[in-house]
Amino acid sequence: MPKSSERAEPTVGAGDGRAARRETQLEALRAILFDGYRERVSALESKLDEVEHGLTDEEALVATVTPIVGDAIRRRIQDAREEMIEALYPIIGQLVVRAVSEAIRDLARKIDAQVRTSYSPQVLLWRLRARIGGASSGEVALRQALPFQVEQVFLIHRETGLLLQHVAAEDGASSDSDLISSMLTAIRDFAEDAFGRGEEADLDAVEYGERRILIEAGEHAYMAVVVDGVEPPGFRSEMRQRLMDIGSAHAPLLRDYDGDAAHLASAEPALRSLMVSQRPAGLSTMQKRLLVVVAGSLFACVILSCFAGRWVWGALRGQATPTVVPIIAEATASATPTHTPTLTATALPTPTSTIAPSPTPRPLAGVMTGHVWVRSQPSSSAPLLGIIIERGEPVTILAAYGPWGQIEWAPEGEAKVVGWVPMQWVGTVEPIPERIVTPEVAP
Amino acid sequence: MEQALRKIHRKVCLLGDFAVGKTSLVRRFVYNRFADKYVSTIGVKVNRKTVMIASGSELVELTMMLWDLAGSEEFDRMRRSYLRGAAGAIWVCDLTRPATLDSLQIYADILFAATPGAQLVLAANKCDLAEDVRILPSQLEAIADNYGLPFVVTSAKTGDQVEGLFQRLGKMLVLPQGGAE
Repeated sequence: MPKSSERAEPTVGAGDGRAARRETQLEALRAILFDGYRERVSALESKLDEVEHGLTDEEALVATVTPIVGDAIRRRIQDAREEMIEALYPIIGQLVVRAVSEAIRDLARKIDAQVRTSYSPQVLLWRLRARIGGASSGEVALRQALPFQVEQVFLIHRETGLLLQHVAAEDGASSDSDLISSMLTAIRDFAEDAFGRGEEADLDAVEYGERRILIEAGEHAYMAVVVDGVEPPGFRSEMRQRLMDIGSAHAPLLRDYDGDAAHLASAEPALRSLMVSQRPAGLSTMQKRLLVVVAGSLFACVILSCFAGRWVWGALRGQATPTVVPIIAEATASATPTHTPTLTATALPTPTSTIAPSPTPRPLAGVMTGHVWVRSQPSSSAPLLGIIIERGEPVTILAAYGPWGQIEWAPEGEAKVVGWVPMQWVGTVEPIPERIVTPEVAP
Repeated sequence: MEQALRKIHRKVCLLGDFAVGKTSLVRRFVYNRFADKYVSTIGVKVNRKTVMIASGSELVELTMMLWDLAGSEEFDRMRRSYLRGAAGAIWVCDLTRPATLDSLQIYADILFAATPGAQLVLAANKCDLAEDVRILPSQLEAIADNYGLPFVVTSAKTGDQVEGLFQRLGKMLVLPQGGAE
């Protein structure tokens, strides 16, 4: 048995060898026949993996489809422009309406600010500040006219109402910001359901006294900004820009928000910048000094102008102290006792109530050479009669007292006026005769 | 070894018919900031409940923003919008009123239509009124089996199992397998 067994082994071994050779030959044959197919199958498998990956990975799918969709839309717009306009009108129309409404609101605010500040004495100071600070006077005026402060900024997840980020002024921090964001979301939903009427519209502001909550909504998040006062033009655009920046930077995270706000900590500077940018820039020390110098110069100019104006006014009114020529009155029967010049400012003799100019039987004709107030007495401090005799008007000179002349003026169709005017504004064709000069006042 | 702390927020809605004790449940152990009148004015009031959940080596501080919705005979369009984005919901029924069990199907359908994948837990409230209880434990078990959701028997009045209810839901919201034990 052992022998047969020993014999059998080589027999089996020979069989194995043949089988192995056959297998090798078959393999060679397979290689000749199927290698090409194997390579193609392998290539197809890798392509299939790529396609599967492209379909399961959302980002990859979007990256693949976006250019195709973009091209398709572009081509469709070229081929059927009218049709596309009709299809997109409900969306674009609303966007346009919203943009126009916002622009009109901004314009209204500008006009309101202009109206408020046009006649304000502070306008000059604002313009000066604007020049120094590098801003337009309109911006400074607007800032002054519409006090505005950002108190809190909420970034809220649109679908869940969960608070994503919150920044507040130093005194505005609240531990209830997450509750507020949820309630605000509930109010938005309520407003949408109650008043939306199926339109794609959002609540964009809530007002409470001077405080307002400005709301700007994005695709996955919305921003609520609590402000005090009226926001300046362009603030909404700034909000929208910040929201778009955050939305594009964190799109996947916002789309499938997992409730962990720590992932959105990087959005905080964008929100905080919204607060900082609205604070009016103060002046630097150098600017303040310059402002003081300019203001001082302006003040000095104003004072000098006042003095100069007073001097010119005095000269024009003939206030330069005239040398009262002592004159002798010719007392006549027609003397008018009502004229009572009182000259107390000089050491010269003071006329008393008993002194009265004496009209003459032959009055002297004259013409006014300037517009002059008529006074009741021959003095610049005497009361005005409320009448101005205009240049060119003919008058009759009844009497003279120093630089003053008593005239009679007869305007057409009105009662005669008798009063005193500076003689420098009365032209005559002949020298004033002695007979109409009033007498020296008796002490 | 110290566990890492992770803070997350989730939206949770309280559903159920009128007067089943939703507001009482949240008033018992949660942080109230707003007056209850909001429930009747705009149909919702939001409260906050924070629970700590251990998840492996991680400790999770879960803040549930509880949207207490006004109960009414039927779900209207307005309240559907309040369910958007809810990660979970507590459906509250009144053990003394068997009719309050009937609306479960409606509530569940609308919840899952608004937020597929939301976790739902049944709170059978008012167990302190032992003499008036009309819903048997076997009925609750049958409903829970039918819908595949856990239930907790609570009493807002005594506080019995209220904390446990929120813990249970918290685990369902945080743990990968939905807190199944």
